Amino acid sequence: MVGEKVWEKVIRVIEKLAVLLIFLSPFYIAVCYAVKSRKELTAGRLDFPKVIHWENFAEAIRRSNFFQALMNSTITTVVTVVVLLIICSMAAYVIARRKSKFFNSMYFAMLGATLIPFQSIISPLYSELRAIHLMNTLAGYCIVQIAFQSAFTTLIITGFVKSIPLELEEAAMIDGCSQYGTFWKIVFPLMKPIISTVAILDALCTWNDFQVSVVFLQKESIKNLAVTQYYFFGKNTADLNYAFAMILMSMIPILILYFSFQRYIVSGITAGAVKG
Amino acid sequence: MNLKQKAKIKRTLIDSTFLFPALAVFIAFVVAPFIWGIPLSLTDWDGLSATKNYVGFKNYFNMFSDAHILNAFKNTGVFAVMTLILSNIFGLAIALLLQRSNKLNNITRTMVFMPYCLSMILQSYIWKYMYSDVLTGLLQLPNPLGSQFWAIFGISFICIWADTGYCMIIYVAALQGIPRDYYEVAEISGASRWQQFCKITLPMLWPAVVSNVIIYLGWGLKVYDYPMAATSGGPGRASETVAMLIYKNLFSYHKAGYGQALAVVYTILIFVIISVVAKVLRRREVEL
Repeated sequence: MVGEKVWEKVIRVIEKLAVLLIFLSPFYIAVCYAVKSRKELTAGRLDFPKVIHWENFAEAIRRSNFFQALMNSTITTVVTVVVLLIICSMAAYVIARRKSKFFNSMYFAMLGATLIPFQSIISPLYSELRAIHLMNTLAGYCIVQIAFQSAFTTLIITGFVKSIPLELEEAAMIDGCSQYGTFWKIVFPLMKPIISTVAILDALCTWNDFQVSVVFLQKESIKNLAVTQYYFFGKNTADLNYAFAMILMSMIPILILYFSFQRYIVSGITAGAVKG
Repeated sequence: MNLKQKAKIKRTLIDSTFLFPALAVFIAFVVAPFIWGIPLSLTDWDGLSATKNYVGFKNYFNMFSDAHILNAFKNTGVFAVMTLILSNIFGLAIALLLQRSNKLNNITRTMVFMPYCLSMILQSYIWKYMYSDVLTGLLQLPNPLGSQFWAIFGISFICIWADTGYCMIIYVAALQGIPRDYYEVAEISGASRWQQFCKITLPMLWPAVVSNVIIYLGWGLKVYDYPMAATSGGPGRASETVAMLIYKNLFSYHKAGYGQALAVVYTILIFVIISVVAKVLRRREVEL
C-alpha cells in the first residue's frame, strides 16, 4: 500500500518533468543557435554550445537597427496602455454604474466589437489614416491600437467596477463631491488591482502585435520589434546565429515583464474568462 | 423647467463626458471603417486609384467560383478546430496534474505559460527549426511544414504549444474553486476517479470550458500571424488562411473591392459561428 503511494508520487513527478521538457525544449533552440558561430552551426546545430559568441549579438544589433525598433515598441506600448487605461476606466465607470438603456447598449456594442476581425476594417482604416496624415506615424499606429483594444479593455474594467460597493461613492456625492471628483478620488484608486492587470494584458497585446504593425509601420525609422523581427529573419536565414541572436534579444524584455508581473497576468486571464 | 430636472440633465451630460473619449476613438477607428467597408465591397476598387465603380453584388457572386476561398476557409477551420480541441484537452490535463499549489507545480505552471508571452512571429520561427532540425534532422521524421497535407497541422501545433498555458491557467483557477468535500463525499460513497471526474469536475468546470471554447474559436478563426511567419501560406496555398487571403487581395492583388467583400462575409461568419456555439454551450450549462 505504502509502496504504491510512493510509486504514484514518482510517476507524478516524472509527468511534471516531461511537461516541463516539452514546453521548454523549443527555447533551447533559440538560445543554442544564438550563441554559436556559423561554423559550429554547420558542424552540429543541436550540439550543446561550448563557448558563447557574444559578437553574434553585436552583429545582430548592427544589422537590424535593433535599438530603434526597441525604442519604437516601448514608446507605442507605453502610450497605448496609458491612454487606454484612462479613457476605458472612465467609460467603464459610467457603463457599470448608470442604469440607462444607452449605457447598457454600449456594453453589448463593445462585446460584439471584440469579434470583428482586423481584416474587415484594415482597408478603410488605411485610407482614413492617410486622409488625416497619420499613415506611417507612431501616433497613427497608437490610435489604431487604442481603438482596437478599447472594447476589450472597457469590458474587463466594467466587470470589476460592478463588484465595487456603492456606499463610498454615495457618501462622496452627498458630501458635495462632483462626478469627476468622485471618480478620480474615490473610484479610480479602488480600481488599482484591475488597472494593473489590464495594463499588463494590453501591454503584451501591443508589444506582440504583428498584423496591425505590418500594415501601419512601413517606414524603416518607425518599425517596431515585431515587424523588424519578421523582416530580419527573412533576410538572414543563411546567418541563423544572427537571426536567433535577434530573437533572443527581443524575447528578453517581454520575459522580464512576464516574470515580474506574472500574478497580474494570471488574475487578468481568470477575470476575462469569467466575463467570457 | 424646475431645478431638479436641470440638475438631472447636467448629470447626464457630465456622465456622457466620461464615455466620450473611449467612444469617440472606438467609433472613429473601428465602427466607422467597418461600416464604410460595406459600400466599398460593392465596388471594383483596386486599393490605389482615386476612382472606383459600383458593381453591385458581383464581388459576392464571384466568391462562389473562387477555389482559393474554399481552400482558405478549410484551412482556417482546421486550424480553429485543432487548436480549440487540443489546447483545451492538454490545458485541462496539465491543470489537473498541477492544480495543487506547491513549489514544483508553480514553477511548471510558470514555464508552461511562458510561450504565450512571446509574439506569434517568434513562436513560429523557433518552431520552424524545431521541425526541420529536431523532428527531421534528429528523429528522421518528415517536416510537416513542407507537406501539402500536414502544413496546417504543423502550424496548429505551434499555436497549441503556445496557448495551452492560457487554458491551463483558467482551468487551474476553476479547479481550485471546487469545494474539496464534494470529492470526499464521492469517495465515501465509492465513486471511482473517472466517475468523480464526470460527475463533479466536468460539470463544475463547464463555465470555464464554455469561455475557453469561445475565446479560442475567436482566435482560431482570425488566425493570421502563425501561417505568415511559419510558411507564408505554403507550400503552394496549403496553409493559407482567410485573413491572409483578404490581406493579399487588399494589398498585393490590387482587388480591394473583392477583398473587402470577402472580409464582410468573413466577419458575418465569425459572428454567426461564435453566437451559435455560445448559445448551444450555454444551454448545456443549464442542463449539467
